[in-house]
Amino acid sequence: MLNMTTRIECIFFSEFHPTLGPKITYQVPEEYISRELFDTVQVYIITKPELQNKLITVTAMEKKLIGCPVCIEHKKYSRNALLFNLGFVCDAQTNTCALEPIVKKLAGYLTTLELESGFISKEESKQKLLPIMSTLLEDLNATGACTLPIDDSNTIQLKLIQQRKDPPTVQEYDVPVFTESLCGHFQEAAVKRLVYYGVVTLVSIFQYSNVYCTTPKVQSLIDDKSLQDECLSYVSKQGQKRASLRDVFQLYCGLSPGTTVRDLCSRYSQQLQRVDERRLIQFGLMKSLIRRLQKYPVKVVRDERSRPPRLYTGCHSYDEICCKTGISYQELDERLENDPNIVICWK
Amino acid sequence: MSSSAMKKKVLLMGKSGSGKTSMRSIIFANYIARDTRRLGATIDVEHSHVRFLGNLVLNLWDCGGQDTFMENYFTSQRDNIFRNVEVLIYVFDVESRELEKDMHYYQSCLEAILQNSPDAKVFCLVHKMDLVQEDQRDLIFKEREEDLKRLSRPLACTCFRTSIWDETLYKAWSSIVYQLIPNVQQLETNLRNFAQIIEADEVLLFERATFLVISHYQCKEQRDAHRFEKISNIIKQFKLSCSKLAASFQSMEVRNSNFAAFIDVFTSNTYVMVIMSDPSIPSAATLINIRNARKHFEKLERVDGPKHSLHMRMR
Repeated sequence: MLNMTTRIECIFFSEFHPTLGPKITYQVPEEYISRELFDTVQVYIITKPELQNKLITVTAMEKKLIGCPVCIEHKKYSRNALLFNLGFVCDAQTNTCALEPIVKKLAGYLTTLELESGFISKEESKQKLLPIMSTLLEDLNATGACTLPIDDSNTIQLKLIQQRKDPPTVQEYDVPVFTESLCGHFQEAAVKRLVYYGVVTLVSIFQYSNVYCTTPKVQSLIDDKSLQDECLSYVSKQGQKRASLRDVFQLYCGLSPGTTVRDLCSRYSQQLQRVDERRLIQFGLMKSLIRRLQKYPVKVVRDERSRPPRLYTGCHSYDEICCKTGISYQELDERLENDPNIVICWK
Repeated sequence: MSSSAMKKKVLLMGKSGSGKTSMRSIIFANYIARDTRRLGATIDVEHSHVRFLGNLVLNLWDCGGQDTFMENYFTSQRDNIFRNVEVLIYVFDVESRELEKDMHYYQSCLEAILQNSPDAKVFCLVHKMDLVQEDQRDLIFKEREEDLKRLSRPLACTCFRTSIWDETLYKAWSSIVYQLIPNVQQLETNLRNFAQIIEADEVLLFERATFLVISHYQCKEQRDAHRFEKISNIIKQFKLSCSKLAASFQSMEVRNSNFAAFIDVFTSNTYVMVIMSDPSIPSAATLINIRNARKHFEKLERVDGPKHSLHMRMR
């Protein structure tokens, strides 16, 4: 069933020991990872600061290791930091996309447990990792899901969502119906199924980070009296005096490339006293007075040997990439803004 | 400046926690000793490039000393680590309880150096000396030095005792870096000419960012053989204190009835300290002489600049 395509061969817990260095503290099954394999990949398991807290998949010696190196800095730790990594090992041919959110989630959980009660740094509690890892391995392989009580107040719930086919192309419609954006919100099983099993339409919602710009049609707000009335009724804040056309028009004109809705709100706070910014944007989109600008990353520097970019071609927006890959908007943004080989186009 | 600066590879090795990253942070990254408590462990090798004197780039390889890393350096990373090494700095924690293991790793390093960079200069730092009782320090260092020199044969090693809490750190690193400066003889000749023309008792040349003494001249014996590193330490601390107040240290004049000392920016990469014991020479004269000498020393720092001997004019 689900498990056939993503079989986990081994789950490991690796740590940085103050005098021994990177080592595998626990692995199930025992001795699955050879000394040679670990030596080859250890620098991607217990990593330098630049790679910490990121999902890292490394393939070597016919195996794929997926992990998320965690670093918790505090002067109470020897050498001022706790470094660990709970990861999975699969056969190199395996498609491991479905495992990635699980690895990340586990990293987050362990971090929380450590911060709350020193779960990892205390020997008595760290030992519990071994039976936890055994259960994880068994359950995830057998049913694709796992529920683990960790201690009195913490339980881990995990579910593998297998990709049956490529997710459908994301499209945008100018409709006044706003639903949850999927970026970073993979919590509900129903929503997950919608994405992977047949949902086609995705509509961008109101977000303060969105960027819009006016269309030539915005002029009609001045020329068309009935449109004006409709607009001012729609966008005025409830229970307040009606907004003035001057304010509303200024707000629409304040929208431009590089200006987020957040920026607009801080620059035009006076005009927004009687205007609801969500409804302002909604109306503008409905009536084509404004349109949404999206970020399209383009990979500009690469050597001839590397494969051509799949997503960073200037044809795929952030929204699309987030949904295709499961990364959150903020994480994608952080990743790409700091990449000197990527240029972001607004269009 | 020059694009053809010499690049020299410096390996910094030693057991985990021996103090390698702390030392390099203080000397090259403007940390004060107290700040180094915050540092985390070095994962594998941390590379840094330090521009020195405009015509030298130090390629520092700060190698994490945990067992797993060390094993790797001697096996899978052997060539990569030990080829083209100009200087090996090996750090020993004087308080270590595993002397045999420390020596074992040290010897493995020397083996790899002999095979891959036989001309490399080897320096051993016996570090954290502040943790040893003051009256024991000389004795303990002597013992260690003897052991190390013996164990290092046929390679020669120069040993220093160091601590991040006093000037001994500066003495060691000054001596090490001094060995790496490409035209140090010329620098010293010119410094001597300069000192003699202006009738200075002593002249020190410091590298600007690190305040390591890279050259000096003295016309007679002085009492304190450790004054160089003490000055480095004092001025560097002062410079850092100034920058914490968003002020940048430029120059200083210290005077009493016996001497006058001037510390000033010299070339774009150096500071100079001039000691005058002749009270009849006014400050202004000395300062003008320093200013006049700058041009000539600037030329020396450019790799492809003409080789001038120093021509000076008094006021």
